[in-house]
Amino acid sequence: MLRTITPRNARVKRVMKNREAKTEENIKTAIFIRGSQTSQIVNDALADLYMLKKPHAVNFTKKNQIHPFEDHSNLQFFSQKNDASLFVIGTHSKKRPNTLTFARMFDHQLLDMMEVSIEKGTPMKDFKTPKSAIGMKPCFMFNGDMWDQNPNYIMFKSMILDFYHGQTVDKVALAGLEYVISVTSGPMTSEGKPGKIYLRTYTIVLKRSGVKLPRIELVEMGPSMDMTFGRMTEAKIDVWKQSLRVPKELKPKKKKNITKDVMGDTVGRIHMGRQDFDKIQTRKMKGLKKRAAPTEESGESGDKKQRVDENDDEE
Amino acid sequence: MDVSGVLEAHKQKFKSVSVEGKVIPLEYDLGLLTAYDQNPIDEALLKKNKDEYLQSLSRDNAQLLFNEIFQLPTISDDNGVMAMLPTPTTLLPREKPLPKPKPETRWEKFAKAKGIVNRKKERMVFDDNTGEYKPRWGYKGINDDGSKDWIIEVPAGSNPMEDQYEARRDAKKERIDKNDKRRQRNMEEAAVASKMDQKTVNKGERPNMDNARSMKRKEIENQILISKSSTASVGKFDEAIKGDLKPKGIKRKFEPNVTADLSKEKAGNMSILDRVVGKNGEDLVNVRKAIKATKSRK
Repeated sequence: MLRTITPRNARVKRVMKNREAKTEENIKTAIFIRGSQTSQIVNDALADLYMLKKPHAVNFTKKNQIHPFEDHSNLQFFSQKNDASLFVIGTHSKKRPNTLTFARMFDHQLLDMMEVSIEKGTPMKDFKTPKSAIGMKPCFMFNGDMWDQNPNYIMFKSMILDFYHGQTVDKVALAGLEYVISVTSGPMTSEGKPGKIYLRTYTIVLKRSGVKLPRIELVEMGPSMDMTFGRMTEAKIDVWKQSLRVPKELKPKKKKNITKDVMGDTVGRIHMGRQDFDKIQTRKMKGLKKRAAPTEESGESGDKKQRVDENDDEE
Repeated sequence: MDVSGVLEAHKQKFKSVSVEGKVIPLEYDLGLLTAYDQNPIDEALLKKNKDEYLQSLSRDNAQLLFNEIFQLPTISDDNGVMAMLPTPTTLLPREKPLPKPKPETRWEKFAKAKGIVNRKKERMVFDDNTGEYKPRWGYKGINDDGSKDWIIEVPAGSNPMEDQYEARRDAKKERIDKNDKRRQRNMEEAAVASKMDQKTVNKGERPNMDNARSMKRKEIENQILISKSSTASVGKFDEAIKGDLKPKGIKRKFEPNVTADLSKEKAGNMSILDRVVGKNGEDLVNVRKAIKATKSRK
């Protein structure tokens, strides 16, 4: 569908190089799309999620005829054109009111997607509180005992982490932890179906506490959503496994032959090859050298002298 | 002097940083700054004051999470105090598949064999002539073709009537062409290597790079042969190209016009007829060959 672009200048070449597969990947870009019919709640929710995801987000402001569970070919085109692998599609219909569909792509093909409908949502603009800066890395918390058990919950957890964790770094500035996304699972319904989930976003305020560790206070920043699960398409097992593969360079390297002993000292092991103790080259002690008998010695030297003399004679 | 009383009074002034009441201790994935709280939710409180309950629960968990984060080893950077995070334990899927290893270029192979390591050099180099720093390569670099020198000494052993500026320009052009040829050669070899990799990977053998060039040459010769006969007259009445090599190994054998053995003639004619019209039950098209041809054309 998309024409393959041959780069004609260095800038395009750099962009193309940035988009190809790498060992350490870029931060995933998300596209926020409105379906053919949306409601105020859905619009607000999309706008808020977009603000949280900025700058790695694209906002499609026009309405699109898109029904991901029936036909996801549009998603593939959008994904290739914008180099985005995350989608949030907001729709509203009588049958499925105030619905958000979260979708993920792998190699521009659909990996998995899930639908949630918003029962009650409060947008960011309704909270008259200070907001965090754009592009900060959030903390997460998942409360409740369902997050490891039910496939709905597992996928939602994976989606939220994937969307908002930003770049995987090995160090973070302690002053830069500005907000936290908290998702709580409510109790199961009487029919045994998964209950509601409550998404809340708070800014973190560090207060003095008399000890080194600060006292944490939270101020609600929004968005705040109460959601129920809808339909879900899980990833095919082989594609899922392929997407989880970690390249060799990023696997943690095992340090061999280094241990810490009881005292806390670092101890290393060196492996020597086979050694023939008779033939080891040790320090030379000239005095311990085996000496020949004195007569033989002079004879030898005499021979040497003779040889020299002979040469002289020949010349 | 007993200061514990003073310390206690000081502590009382502030709110505590410890959190009680967590039956199941939290699990943390500090690489992703995440805390998992498996303690059951208080349904009564949830019903009564949902938002307040959620906020207090989140505050407690955030406090515990931050207590863990602040215990990580830290380093001081220009950006302030940074905490060293461990690798994340939660596996998140990638967005694109793992990159395929590119075939090595000739220089890379040579360097590997000899053990030559690429050491990064500074971009700016001090130029003694002008006394300032210039880039090692590129725009306004010190290695420029030297045509900008206002005076060039005639090197010993060269024609004194020769234009040295032109000589320098030609030398640079030659270097550029050589570099281009090498780059093209590397690209072709890479293409052949990746193709061969597929074949030998399917067979289970290791690819042999010495065959790459001869394989490429054979491919090209084959294609030339095909293109020669792709004319309207199937290559018979085309004008001969000057300096073209005759294709090897193509001989034509002619049967004598009149033979005593008529059965051979009959057999030959019948076989032609069979091939054109087709024997009973046999296809006109060789399916196997057709599939192969379309595959190679793709």
